[in-house]
Amino acid sequence: MKKSAIALLAGLLVFLLLLITVGGRASDADLFLGRLHPALVHLPIGILLVAALLEVWNWRAGGFDRAVLALLYCGAWSAFLAAAAGLYLAKGGGYDPATFSWHKRLGVLVALGATGAYMLKLQAVAGLRPSTLLQKRGYLYSLAGLVLVIGLTGHLGAELTHGSGYLTRYMPDGIRTLVGLPKKEDLGRLQLANPAETPVYAALVEPILERRCVSCHGDRAARGGLRLDSPEALFEGGDAGPAVVAGRSEESELIYRIWLPLASSEHMPPEGRPQLTVAEAEILRWWIDGGASPDETLPDADITPVVQSILDGYGLDEIRTGIFALDVSMPSEADVAALTELGVSAVPLAENEPFLQVRCTDLAACSGDAFREALRRLPDNIAWLDLGRTDVGDEVLPAVGSLRHLTRLHLQQTGVTDAGLEHLSNLEYLEYLNLYGTGVTDSGLTHLEGLSSLRSLYLWQSQATEAGAEALNAALPDVEINLGLELAPDTTQTEE
Amino acid sequence: MKLVHEARHAHLQHVTRRHFLRTCGVGMGAMAFGALGGGASLASAREADPLAARPPHFAPRAKRVIFLHMAGGPSSLELFDYKPALAQLDGQQCPDSLLEGKRFAFIRGVPKMLGPQATFRQHGESGAWVSNHFPHFSRVVDRVAFLKAMHTDEFNHAPAQLLVHSGSPRLGRPSMGSWVTYGLGTENENLPAFVVLLSGGVAPDAGASVYGSGFLPTIYQGVQCRSKGDPVLFLSDPDGLPRDLRRRSIEAINAINEEQHRDVGDPEILTRIAQYEMAFRMQTSVPEAMDIAREPPYIHAMYGTEPGQTSFANNCLLARRLVERGVRFVQLFHWGWDSHGAGESEALNGGFLHRCLETDRAVAALLRDLGQRGLMDDTLVIWGGEFGRTPMLENRSGSDNPFVGRDHHSDAYTMWMAGGGIRSGTTHGETDEIGYQGISGRTHVHDLQATILYLLGFDHEQLTYPFQGRDFRLTDVHGHVVHEVIA
Repeated sequence: MKKSAIALLAGLLVFLLLLITVGGRASDADLFLGRLHPALVHLPIGILLVAALLEVWNWRAGGFDRAVLALLYCGAWSAFLAAAAGLYLAKGGGYDPATFSWHKRLGVLVALGATGAYMLKLQAVAGLRPSTLLQKRGYLYSLAGLVLVIGLTGHLGAELTHGSGYLTRYMPDGIRTLVGLPKKEDLGRLQLANPAETPVYAALVEPILERRCVSCHGDRAARGGLRLDSPEALFEGGDAGPAVVAGRSEESELIYRIWLPLASSEHMPPEGRPQLTVAEAEILRWWIDGGASPDETLPDADITPVVQSILDGYGLDEIRTGIFALDVSMPSEADVAALTELGVSAVPLAENEPFLQVRCTDLAACSGDAFREALRRLPDNIAWLDLGRTDVGDEVLPAVGSLRHLTRLHLQQTGVTDAGLEHLSNLEYLEYLNLYGTGVTDSGLTHLEGLSSLRSLYLWQSQATEAGAEALNAALPDVEINLGLELAPDTTQTEE
Repeated sequence: MKLVHEARHAHLQHVTRRHFLRTCGVGMGAMAFGALGGGASLASAREADPLAARPPHFAPRAKRVIFLHMAGGPSSLELFDYKPALAQLDGQQCPDSLLEGKRFAFIRGVPKMLGPQATFRQHGESGAWVSNHFPHFSRVVDRVAFLKAMHTDEFNHAPAQLLVHSGSPRLGRPSMGSWVTYGLGTENENLPAFVVLLSGGVAPDAGASVYGSGFLPTIYQGVQCRSKGDPVLFLSDPDGLPRDLRRRSIEAINAINEEQHRDVGDPEILTRIAQYEMAFRMQTSVPEAMDIAREPPYIHAMYGTEPGQTSFANNCLLARRLVERGVRFVQLFHWGWDSHGAGESEALNGGFLHRCLETDRAVAALLRDLGQRGLMDDTLVIWGGEFGRTPMLENRSGSDNPFVGRDHHSDAYTMWMAGGGIRSGTTHGETDEIGYQGISGRTHVHDLQATILYLLGFDHEQLTYPFQGRDFRLTDVHGHVVHEVIA
């Protein structure tokens, strides 16, 4: 017995020596030994847990003291071996430093704890001296503590290998909220305060590099002379040259390394480290091909269908602008029915969109009070309204003006005049206005000067003139005004 | 009451024991499936009114389509694809390397190269190349986006036309217009949702299948309208039948049909009811829409139209009148672009020039007219044939022939798109020095279809219809949206 205790203490000494001395560059032999770590760790876990369970049994029924002692002895030795292998594995580097440092400390603690528990048990079993109450208590507490620490160490180890959140990824939402984690559906969602103004780099690229690369290529370590924690550093690159060539992903070392076969020594992240997902790699490639701009924003970026589907997966459904960025509730069925019962077509712009496209083809349907009343019941929802070629006049425009999210308005060939246009002056989202074939004159156009979203205005066969169009263009330079001046018969010579 | 007796008799014959068992089985399955899918409301809404307007998958850029099909395969090398290098090769033997592994519809042996039979100039701010054959169109080039490296799988007219319009070179699939009306319904139930207008004297080689509804309910098939005589055949009431009597007889027929539908649930019965109803409404609305004589003289001057004729120009003007009234899909076919050079009527220095003359002014006028009416923002216009033509001279007879022509060519040809959601003034794709192969931006027919559906608000992979045990779609298992031509 004593011999074994001395051997164990000697083992502990060697282990502590290793703990201090192991470091520096990893050789192949180091890594070979290191890679035994994932296999070896299961020995102390299993053996020590069985020891603790048996001790509980022993407490009630007795008779297993020697068995527990033997298990603790084996457990302590295997803990040394596993921890030592772990030290070599860590030489390869590339682990999240904070997690690793805790994993290491707790691993050492397991080895020490197992040795201590063995010593205490040995004293009790061999009966060299009768154990004091303090010793008995100490033994039990250390055993219980050991179980706890083993659990924690194992968890941290798993986080190092599989990435953080491995355990909780599929945890039921009930438990997730209990332990203070966000619900599963919000997981991986991009929490962008203002998606329309967030640069692609900050929103998408930086988090990927941070997650996958920066632990080895950042301010703590810059392996290969390379840092990947800022756009400038990406262009500057490392020993192998620039990591990123803007606009040319196929020449960018970063992409090249990511797509090398896993077995290649140049593949990054190195084998055994959490790898980029296909989606992440695709985002990087897309960002580089798009010019690798550090401040291009999402709405400016040319979002390809593939990237769009990835963004959907990130919970970033699409970059919505204009009325689509607004939080508008779905129209009530009764309100829509009020329109359709009149014989007016009212359909959502798209599936699951609160906005409606309304078109009146039945000339009588949209001239009554009932129609105007029906419009007023949907002030938030009607986005496109087509009253063209009907016999409506100015009387409908107060109701139309109340449709605050209107973007397209067709009033061509109707009885609309200057006076009615006054009611449209608050339509801040209106992009398209068709007034061809109406009695609108230049003075009516002045009512439109506040329509900051307006892009297309049609005035063919109205009373508006080029002067009026120019005046409106002075106030709204982005509006394309079509006066339909091409109506003169074409004089181009035809030839054969 | 004879009709009612007849219907009752047919019904009694119909409901046999076998039928009862089948209805039970299928019915339970269908109920369970409907509950699983959760899409019952949309499906039943479509069933109640197959042409009711419906939302697409996402907010659309275009609401309507005018497809100008230049049937026969116009030669891009004489219209848009300027190849000065080909002029230098004119009359030389085609190198073997170009012929290896290739099959042509008519060319046999080693043909000679044929230089461009046109002069080219750049036009507009976009600097697009257009030949002297399209003087009017060359003034509106900034309104269109060219797809210069189109390619297809087929080199004969009928299968190639079917591929363009139904996504498959074989018969039996619904046409694009059918898919679109199936997906979007119509905003004007007084007119057909999908109208077909033919000119050039020859119907499409693939027959009515290029605008057929395939396995979709027949309500979605294209309705051919004529610009001369009765616009739609068999639509007018027979002499001596007053309109209210017509109304009442249709009501009686529909009542019987509805009863039949309640019993057997066949969607074709609903189609029949809807068609009776539509035919009745169309009796007044179609003649109005199709009467181009109502247009002012300057419009006729602009298009070059003459009321009472069957011409491509008339059809262009009709197309505008129809989209103005909310028709979803207008399909024009103009035959005569099959310029083999075997005779005057189909030679690049013969019939081809006539086709240019017949279409140039009208196409330009259509783009302008849609523009000044504000319809261009949500109407998509597509121009093109079913394939292109070879850079080689065909010379089928091998003898001295005053007429020149080119053979069918599936690897490279030009199409253009304009209007709703299109980035006008752009050119996508490029062919090699002689216009034989696309070298960049190659766009397959399925890509074009995916793009058209995208602009209308559809994910082409999601617009499907279950038939014979699987979901079918226009682009089958192909197609990529050409985002380069989308604004």
